[in-house]
Amino acid sequence: MALPAAVLHILIALADGDSHGYAIMQEVAARTDGALRLGPGTLYGSLKRMLHDGLIEELDERQGAGRDDARRRYYRITPRGRKTARAEIARLAKLVRQARATTLAVKHS
Amino acid sequence: MHRLYRALLRLYPAEFRDEYGREMAQMVRDRIAREPRARLWIDLLRDLLRTAPKEHAHVLLNDVRYAVRLIRRAPMFTAAVVGTVALAIAANTAIFSVVNAVLLRPLPFAEPGRLIQVAEKNDALGLPNFGASVLNLLSWRERARSVDALSAIGFSSFTLSGLGEPEQLSGNRVSPSLMPLLGLAPVAGRAFTPDEERPGAPPVAMIGEGLWARRFGRDPAVVGRAVTLNGLPVTIVGVAPRALNLISGGDVYVPLTIDPSTEIRLNHVIFVAGRLKPRVTIQQAQAEFDTIAQAVAAAYPEMRDWGVHLLTFFDTFVSAQLKTGLLVLLGAVAFVLLIACANIANLLLSRSASRQKEIAVRVAMGATQSRVLRQLLVESVALSAIGGAIGIVAAVWAVRAINASLPPNLLPVPAVRVDAVVLSFAAGLTLLAGLIFGIAPACYTAKTDVHDMLKHTARPAGGGSGARVRSALAAAELALATLLLVGAGLLLESFLNLQRVRLGFEPRGLLTFQLAPPTSRYPLTDKAPGFYRALLESLRAAPGVRGAAVSSGIPFGQGNYTTSPLQASGPSALPADAAVPIDWRIVSPGYFKTMSIPLLRGRDFSDAEGAGAPAVAIVSQATARKFFGDMDPIGRSLHRAADARPFAIVGVVGDVRSTTLNQESPAIYYPLSTRAWPLMDVVVRADVPPETLLPALRQKVHEIDGELPLATVRTMDEWLSASAAQPRLSATLLGAFAAVAVLIAAIGIYGVIAYSVNQRTREIGLRMALGARPGGVMRLIVKEGMIVAAAGIGAGLAAASLLGRAIASLVYAVPVDDPPTFAGVGLLLALVAFAACAIPARRAARLDPMEALRCD
Repeated sequence: MALPAAVLHILIALADGDSHGYAIMQEVAARTDGALRLGPGTLYGSLKRMLHDGLIEELDERQGAGRDDARRRYYRITPRGRKTARAEIARLAKLVRQARATTLAVKHS
Repeated sequence: MHRLYRALLRLYPAEFRDEYGREMAQMVRDRIAREPRARLWIDLLRDLLRTAPKEHAHVLLNDVRYAVRLIRRAPMFTAAVVGTVALAIAANTAIFSVVNAVLLRPLPFAEPGRLIQVAEKNDALGLPNFGASVLNLLSWRERARSVDALSAIGFSSFTLSGLGEPEQLSGNRVSPSLMPLLGLAPVAGRAFTPDEERPGAPPVAMIGEGLWARRFGRDPAVVGRAVTLNGLPVTIVGVAPRALNLISGGDVYVPLTIDPSTEIRLNHVIFVAGRLKPRVTIQQAQAEFDTIAQAVAAAYPEMRDWGVHLLTFFDTFVSAQLKTGLLVLLGAVAFVLLIACANIANLLLSRSASRQKEIAVRVAMGATQSRVLRQLLVESVALSAIGGAIGIVAAVWAVRAINASLPPNLLPVPAVRVDAVVLSFAAGLTLLAGLIFGIAPACYTAKTDVHDMLKHTARPAGGGSGARVRSALAAAELALATLLLVGAGLLLESFLNLQRVRLGFEPRGLLTFQLAPPTSRYPLTDKAPGFYRALLESLRAAPGVRGAAVSSGIPFGQGNYTTSPLQASGPSALPADAAVPIDWRIVSPGYFKTMSIPLLRGRDFSDAEGAGAPAVAIVSQATARKFFGDMDPIGRSLHRAADARPFAIVGVVGDVRSTTLNQESPAIYYPLSTRAWPLMDVVVRADVPPETLLPALRQKVHEIDGELPLATVRTMDEWLSASAAQPRLSATLLGAFAAVAVLIAAIGIYGVIAYSVNQRTREIGLRMALGARPGGVMRLIVKEGMIVAAAGIGAGLAAASLLGRAIASLVYAVPVDDPPTFAGVGLLLALVAFAACAIPARRAARLDPMEALRCD
């Protein structure tokens, strides 16, 4: 089952460390050269469902203390989230490999 | 800008907003500082429009999932609610589909709102809506500017021969302009041309779509074919659509030719249809026709008392009685739905006690009150949606049954259909029902006080306002049920009164059929009377036949439209020159004996009254009294208002109900020996079951003329039953709805009392421990229920006395405020309520005080 693009991007953004909403959005924008800027509704809607599905967890105030902005809510990827992201990336890689083997990938020059 | 975004956040569900609103707003504030405004706004709006509906759908989906879990956890409760909703929605949908077909769907013509019937009226004779005469049609065509066209339709019957078994068909003579006027096109071939209205045009005919399918297998080659109609060769030029069948018949259409030299202005034999010019109202047209009618009356003295009455096509084809009947039924099913809603609301309320702990937990965990309310309403709508879906399926089935079982001609539409309008109505009503029965319990349940509820010792809010709401609902149910039962009772009495009506003849053992010997071979004044004389002689000789006769219109048959104004030729009980419309029939000798209509004075017709003999007639008792009061009518004369030829009265017979069961029609009978009518009813009185005679009778007819078909073979009982179809149907349906209503209301009051007994187990136990007798406890409980019942029944009876006028036009021989009916209904419902209360009361009286006191 394909993961929504926003969810995969968020998982990738969180893979290297805990982060808060705005930072996730900036990280995704940076990784995609500004092509994908997650809107607030998309971002928090996705976060909500990812929390529900156990892909990420929200840090409590104590864990969040000492970060650059303690008033924000911080999110952390769970092992389940990593596993899901890995599976999705593998699926996409396989898809790309299959696509490369077809005429679709031949560049017309 | 940031503030605007905060406002837009209200588009998200409250839960989501509460959870993330602050973060989202913060994020936007951060982005404002760094991104170009226009692009940021486009991004934000796109994001908002995409995700806000999604979040709402998520919440709704969660609610539905939760509701479905609850529904599955309480199968008995669910079955009770779903069953009640299904019943009510099915009844509403079925009745509404009839209302939709008859009252709401436009008639199948182009711009039907502009179509009118131009009728003649005569206030002096009490004829508000009478046929028109051809000469008046010509005068109107000449002068009227408010209408585009005026077309005529005349009744006719046809014998089709030359194609194997001859068949008798009914149809119309129609003006060639009729089809363009209605905006109808032929299904095949062509319509009539204007030239074909002139006498002497080559004989042509169109056949109806029904006959085309039945007799010709929809073969297009039928166009151009020559057939024999009424003994004359005619060319079929086209096939007419079903919608052209405006009055009756519909098998064959021929052009209505107009020859002014042979017409009489008082001969009101045609139906005139017209189309109003665009933007002309019917009132404006009526004003113009009033002026025309005055001019015509000034020019032709015989038109003195006649005027013109314009009716919309809707009023012409949908009788006021049918409209009332349908609306009453629609009201009745709406009441059934309301009763069902009240009952379900009660069920939900009594369940709310057990739900309150669960709700309190949710509230404690942060759910807002509106959130809980929404959840509860989603539950009730989910319940009603299941019931509604079952109800709609049942209604589709019921409509199929309605189409199959309704007597033809009861409704002015060919079939009732469940169309998109009906389905939307049913879906909307289901949703509405879910909200109606859900709203009160949901508000009540959501209001729960968290602190009280979580304390273990707290009693669920069973007494107090909850009990009052439940009692009020039960009383309302009973009130509505009372109203319905009174209505059903009145209609049932009317129907029974109609069944008991003295018809004036003996219907049992009579077989009837129609004959239409073609006038080309049997001229009406000459060969036709002789044909019938020979036929009757032969029929009377058949075994099992006690008597046989013919009439131009037997009671309740299809030939009951001949009426003409009569005047007394000599001294009369009426003012000089006063005319009275009297039904006239042409009958053979022996008709009165065959029908068992008593001959009160004078004599029957004999075969001696041929051409040349003095003109004679027999009148009914009511006619005699009307014209001559107490004078002896024998030997006196009557004449038609249109001419002066006197008919000497030779006999007086009993009065007969002939067109509708609820009114007597004064009649005059002319002898068949001088003139026949193109279509005659033959009646045979049988000593054996009448249906069994048919083969022998058919053979007798064919011995005389092998080309004559027997049409419309019926027993008189069948004619009677068809004429009582509408009252029977109204009484049956309303009775069924009332029965359902009473049943639901009884369950309702039972539920309230049973619940109250449950809640008060401790109190009752205490009373009994303190020495209360079981009888006393029972009285206490029953009294509580009967106070509710009395309030409901009293309110229902009061409402019934106010609403009774609505069905005044549907009742017969019973006043709409009939005291015995009201008393009977009140008593019956009181008994039902008593029984419903007695069951839980008995349970209370049998309580073991020790057990009851231990109960928490």
